[in-house]
Amino acid sequence: MLTLPNSDLWPLIRIALHVGFFLTAFHILKSMLDLRRVTALRHLPRPKRSVRFPLILLASLFTAVLLYQATWQLTGTARPQFIAFMQLHDRRQFNPAHRIQRGRILDHRGEVLAYSQEILGQVYRLYPDGPAFTHVVGYSHPRYGAAGMESVATVQLNGGAPTGVSGWGNLGRQLVTQDKRRRGQDLMLTLDAELQRTAFRLLDGHRGAAVLLRPDDGAVRALVSTPSYDPNRITPALFRDSDAAAPLLNRATQGLYPPGSAFKILLAALAIESGFSGTIDCPAEGFSTSARYRKIRDHEYYTARRGRSVWKGHGPLDLTTALARSSNVFFAQLGVRYGHEALYRLAERMLFNGTILLHETPYGAWTMRTGEIPRLDPSDQYGLAQMSIGQGAVLVTPAHMALIAASIANQGLAARPRLVETDAPTPLRQFVHRATAQRLIPMLRKAVSSGTGRSIDSPLLEIAGKTGTAENPHGASHSWFVGFAPAARPRLAIAVLVEHGGYGSATAAPIARDLLLRAADLGLLE
Amino acid sequence: MTRASGPIGIAETWDLRAPERYLLGWCVLCIALGFCMLWGSSHFSGDSIAWLDLLPLGLFATSLMALHLLLVVARFRGDQLIVTAVAFLSGFGLLAQYRMGSFEAQDPIALNLVLFPTGFLVMSVVCIILMRGRYLAWGSVHLMWMWGGLSLGLLALLLTFGQRFRGGVYAAGLVTPSEALKVTIVLFLAAFITHHAKALGDWGKGLPFPPLRTLLPLVGFWLVLAALLMVQRDLGLFIVLSVALLMMLLAGTGHIGYLIYATITALILAVGVMWLLPHGERRVDAWLSPFQDPTGSSWQILQGLSGMYSGGLWGDGFGRGSPEYTPIAESDFIYSVIGEELGFVGCAIVIVFFLVLFGRGVSVATRTRGTYGQLVGIGLITVLATQTFLNIGGVTKLVPMTGIPLPFISHGGSSLITGFASLGWLLAISDGQADGPPRKQSSKKKTPAV
Repeated sequence: MLTLPNSDLWPLIRIALHVGFFLTAFHILKSMLDLRRVTALRHLPRPKRSVRFPLILLASLFTAVLLYQATWQLTGTARPQFIAFMQLHDRRQFNPAHRIQRGRILDHRGEVLAYSQEILGQVYRLYPDGPAFTHVVGYSHPRYGAAGMESVATVQLNGGAPTGVSGWGNLGRQLVTQDKRRRGQDLMLTLDAELQRTAFRLLDGHRGAAVLLRPDDGAVRALVSTPSYDPNRITPALFRDSDAAAPLLNRATQGLYPPGSAFKILLAALAIESGFSGTIDCPAEGFSTSARYRKIRDHEYYTARRGRSVWKGHGPLDLTTALARSSNVFFAQLGVRYGHEALYRLAERMLFNGTILLHETPYGAWTMRTGEIPRLDPSDQYGLAQMSIGQGAVLVTPAHMALIAASIANQGLAARPRLVETDAPTPLRQFVHRATAQRLIPMLRKAVSSGTGRSIDSPLLEIAGKTGTAENPHGASHSWFVGFAPAARPRLAIAVLVEHGGYGSATAAPIARDLLLRAADLGLLE
Repeated sequence: MTRASGPIGIAETWDLRAPERYLLGWCVLCIALGFCMLWGSSHFSGDSIAWLDLLPLGLFATSLMALHLLLVVARFRGDQLIVTAVAFLSGFGLLAQYRMGSFEAQDPIALNLVLFPTGFLVMSVVCIILMRGRYLAWGSVHLMWMWGGLSLGLLALLLTFGQRFRGGVYAAGLVTPSEALKVTIVLFLAAFITHHAKALGDWGKGLPFPPLRTLLPLVGFWLVLAALLMVQRDLGLFIVLSVALLMMLLAGTGHIGYLIYATITALILAVGVMWLLPHGERRVDAWLSPFQDPTGSSWQILQGLSGMYSGGLWGDGFGRGSPEYTPIAESDFIYSVIGEELGFVGCAIVIVFFLVLFGRGVSVATRTRGTYGQLVGIGLITVLATQTFLNIGGVTKLVPMTGIPLPFISHGGSSLITGFASLGWLLAISDGQADGPPRKQSSKKKTPAV
């Protein structure tokens, strides 16, 4: 048995041996290079053929292998599946993959929404405000994978997407020093943490969604969907499909709902662009395209009938009043007057029946769905009348409604919604003409100041918008509010949806008002 | 200055081979440092070091010394850098095998212990037997079919009496006699192409057809070989030998048409193998999308890559990684162990030494007088280079896994001995042909060696 002395110097000796091994190997290579003339085979004849080609072929083949190897060994962080595999399946204690300090996820003021912390040799991902941000931030879990921004931006968060000289320099330093605790890059979102928390608190207990974004540059300040789940505690039960509340569903960007009266904003835009002026007669008994169908009536009719009284009807209405009073009879007639094609053209311009990309990396994309306006049979006039008041075949997502409101607040131009602060603002599409948008703004203001939304009119803030009460086959109506504030120089557009919340003016509109007032407090309307 | 091509004395050889002595000394030092790293690591992680653990290094140093002395005494004047490169690579292999615990047998004179010394002995004996142009005698027409018959016979015997293990066929004691084909087939091909060089290079006029009449025996032979190797499920060996065939045809005839036909055939075969063999398709799937089945068919390669990632740029030194998590790492995945413990730099060093070896081999082959010697050299180097590429490419996921060992480093006696025997041949060729008529120029300028 050989006894080696137990020395505290071992770590140093080990490094010396390691360095010595490499240096000796390099010395041998260098000597071989120096001695190649001395050891030349002079007794052999001169080569008839040049050996350059096979040598270059061999060298380039093996260089290719080494370069490819480097994409695993050195820049493996750029391969999210590989990192995930190692975190889950690799039992090598000192594998740096286990101790990657993923970058933090921050709100636009720098408040931390997600961070990594090493506790007793194990790195955990922590979300200080868990459920309120889950539908944007997502989660990163060794066993259940990743979702949301954690998934889309995983390479950047893992440190595998260095930008600029300092980013690469940092990666190089971590490699050369064999840093076992690699640091990723932070990701700054456009969200306002406080506004997001407020929205989550206001919607908590409901199933619903709220989206607030800046009309001019598309920065999303709040994007909430309830119910939510705690990203700090991901359990298998979450992924069972049986839960009707569907906490995994992002209602704001993926939930399709009938828009109800909120859809009348689109019809109003259509009327303005088609040169509508004058009035349409709106009798109390309502309107139908055929005697075979139930008549479309105004909500005042039903209120009167419940009170066992008689309502005389609106009579002739102009566009502004009809929008303020949210007259179904008016807009049903309006839609039928302009026909299917006009509505489809508008829907196409507003990017219905598709998805909008919010943030994209090679490893995933954060997208939102837009509404659905299916093509009906051209003879289906009643279907068109139904769609014109936001019922029937038309469905929208809260995020899309917020974007439509934002476009009106931004002279008709929709800016691409942004969730990541470093993404440059880009125009998405001119949803409506500039002149149309300018005429719509006072109309929407009037709908709040003296129309269906007057319950939320506040002396503190000029809110413009439209309520919506969407009948649906699953129970009480969905409650909507879509708008922006302040009306004179809009800074935030908003869409609030509460599933089965009843009247738009009763549930969604007060939430929208509270959110916009809170945003004003936070300086987001400056 | 041209050196005389006639016989030289032992003292002259001693001087001539001074660089080799110097380089081998440094090789022993380098490998010794590696062993110190290993001993230190296992000592400080609680394992005791026995005196016997010094034996592998001692045997390595002794056998390098013996190799050098043998070559000097035999007045060998062939290549010195090939000897250095193979000494370093096999030292690396010895370290890696020792680290993977291949020597922890109860029997002190374990087979693994004597494997590398035996390899060096085989190399020097083969070299000394064949040097001074004696290798030419093995290229006659009669012996040509002996080599061919030996190859096929060996395979047939193996299939008849062998046992299946991990998808392959082995003889008793997990010896793989099919490894010998890497030499015998090359010898057969070299002789065949040398004897028919003219006919093989004559493609007629206008029609892009190879000379089928001359090729017929070769095609027949190759079909039988392919069939036997398919039954043995050794696709890797078949690829290696086919690449060698192509390179030797190209070198022997200089006709680019063979390359074109080979490319077409390879494409057809690749598709065929994909569709016909479920085994092949699984491997290709594991290659293209390893994360489809990470805990199944891709487990080994992903564990190997995980180890390499864990090693990073420098690694933590021999004995400091955990290669035991990569299944059967000591054989086909030894490269990932190097990547884990010595990092990217360690891998690059290994590859540079391989490149030195192949580069010197190619230059020896092209400078040899006579087609036979050239072809044997080209063939042997192609076999080794293709093996290295397929192994390293497979471990790094650049190409699909073919189950081919890394020459001189992977575990496996048959592969090791075959590798050393090939290099013995190559060294013998590098010694040139001594007994030819002395050239006028050299006899005039004959100067005493310094």
